[in-house]
Amino acid sequence: MALTTFGAIMGFAVEMIGRSMDIYRTAVGKVKDPVLKENVQVLLEEGKKNSSLMEQTRRENVTEMILEPIAGLQQEDYEIDLKISGASEDSDLLKAALALEEKERRFFHDSSEKVPLPEVSRIFRKIARKKEKYIDHLKSLRLNM
Amino acid sequence: MKRVKNYINGEWVDSETKEYGEVWCPATGEKIGEAPFSTANDVDRAARAAKEAYWEWRCTPPLTRARYFFKLKNLFEESFEDIARILVTEEGKTLDESRGEVRRMIENVEHATGVTTLMTGYNLEDIAHGIDCTAEPQPIGVFGVIAPFNFPAMVPWWFLPYAVVSGNTYIVKPSEQVPMTQTRIFEAIDACGFPEGVINMVHGARDAVNGMLYHPDIKGISFVGQSSTARYVYKACGETGKRVQSLGGAKNFVLVMPDAELDKSMPSLITSFYGCAGERCLSGSVLVAVGDVYKELKEKFVAAAKSLKVGNGLQEGIQMGPVVSKKHKEKVLGYIEKGIQEGAKLILDGRNIKIEGYPNGFFIGPTIFDEVHPEMTIAREEIFGPVVSLIHVKNLDEGLKLIENSEYGNAACLYTTSGKTAREFKYRAVASMMGINLGVAAPMSFFPFGGAKGSFFGDIKGHGREVFQFFTDTKVVIQRWT
Repeated sequence: MALTTFGAIMGFAVEMIGRSMDIYRTAVGKVKDPVLKENVQVLLEEGKKNSSLMEQTRRENVTEMILEPIAGLQQEDYEIDLKISGASEDSDLLKAALALEEKERRFFHDSSEKVPLPEVSRIFRKIARKKEKYIDHLKSLRLNM
Repeated sequence: MKRVKNYINGEWVDSETKEYGEVWCPATGEKIGEAPFSTANDVDRAARAAKEAYWEWRCTPPLTRARYFFKLKNLFEESFEDIARILVTEEGKTLDESRGEVRRMIENVEHATGVTTLMTGYNLEDIAHGIDCTAEPQPIGVFGVIAPFNFPAMVPWWFLPYAVVSGNTYIVKPSEQVPMTQTRIFEAIDACGFPEGVINMVHGARDAVNGMLYHPDIKGISFVGQSSTARYVYKACGETGKRVQSLGGAKNFVLVMPDAELDKSMPSLITSFYGCAGERCLSGSVLVAVGDVYKELKEKFVAAAKSLKVGNGLQEGIQMGPVVSKKHKEKVLGYIEKGIQEGAKLILDGRNIKIEGYPNGFFIGPTIFDEVHPEMTIAREEIFGPVVSLIHVKNLDEGLKLIENSEYGNAACLYTTSGKTAREFKYRAVASMMGINLGVAAPMSFFPFGGAKGSFFGDIKGHGREVFQFFTDTKVVIQRWT
């Protein structure tokens, strides 16, 4: 489905973050490695912050006079494969976290280029940059496992 | 099903009436509530409470008055999504449009909190030897707003925060078609803790309107609605010596020049004509193709209109919702019939649109008439629906003539890449809100909102800096102490 409105993009962002958080919440109980557990908790906390940031951004940046259609974003390109929520081994959980973070990073990066509101673009870019750092960090954990 | 109450003197109270109006969900076509047709006695009760509260409130320091609005802004932020969803449910617009409206409501609260600089007067020493003069704006008393259906959250807030932060007390009369949004907003007002009687709400229709217009203790009225009623309100306030700002209807022309960047302009053109299903006084209504842009503009505009997603505004991604009521749908369909009868060519017909899951909704799809002539009804009268009249003119002069000849003068927009043409347009067009390369020329809270000709009756418009003049009387004090 095409994400053609500001609200649809913001709504999808909220849902996407929510789904990731659900997966991280489950994962926290399964992870055995303490370092990975700590990192999953960080991602969960970050999800909470991003979720409320998205709600605030949606509230404060909806400019009635320029609610114009947006083109070029497809929801399907960023859907999370829910199969990864069934992972139970640490290495699989780490893979799952990497996949989730990469999906989100790509969504926020792509959306930052499509949303015609500079303030919203800036927030999206910032999240994408943060995601990049988490991804690098998670990759470094993989090397140590 | 909810039956809403009046809010008078800090309490939720029943009207004395036995008559109630029905509130409908435009998407489902189901009845969702009732609002009392309050009587003149109900208005009197509110006016007396507001009058009683006035003096103490008027003596409250402006910054203290502003602090109530700081708190109210936060309460509005907390209830933002709730208000937006109620608004969609009873009015029909999309969630994005509704959120945008609630945002604009809050922006007026934010702007009004600048009262300590916006309400100040001025002075001059030695206007004659040893004589000084000051001009001191003072609040006046009880004011009220009579609001329309199309922006149930925002419109009362074009006026209320400025009136109240200036030291006046207030009565809101929401549209009887959409009373639930303002009721939810008043729950926040109730939680905010304003002194009793400072802000009141009376639901209703004709009797409540006349009750306000002819009440001796109400000093001024702000009205937004159709032009015939705006004129009536203006006359009544003239008779009763009230201050008045009466905003009427519109017939907005959107001119597209041959040098316009069509692809870039298309999203905002579509939003102009079909945003809020055409139910806003800033909507484009007549699309004017200037010169040889006509064919390409028509093709691209029709294609973009066809691709609009119409449905229940509560679903994210929907781009156009239904119109507000069955009665209004019939009125809009009547205009489409009239257009056909008078010889316009219907090139996109939205009359029989079917929305899956909503067989009883008040939907009309995007509709476009081509070969429209200026004398046709659809080119002259306010339709207030998703119906576009396409007119082809030879040059800018012909386009400006169309605007000049219109009974209305609310907004006018132009798409061009020429600064010279843009200047010519804004200089000469007889309308008060002008858009250049945008289709919804909506002034924000810190600029005035209101039209010209048959679109506005009064002097001082809604919000902006000037609105403080409407809600205050400038007392001139001349002093000699030497």
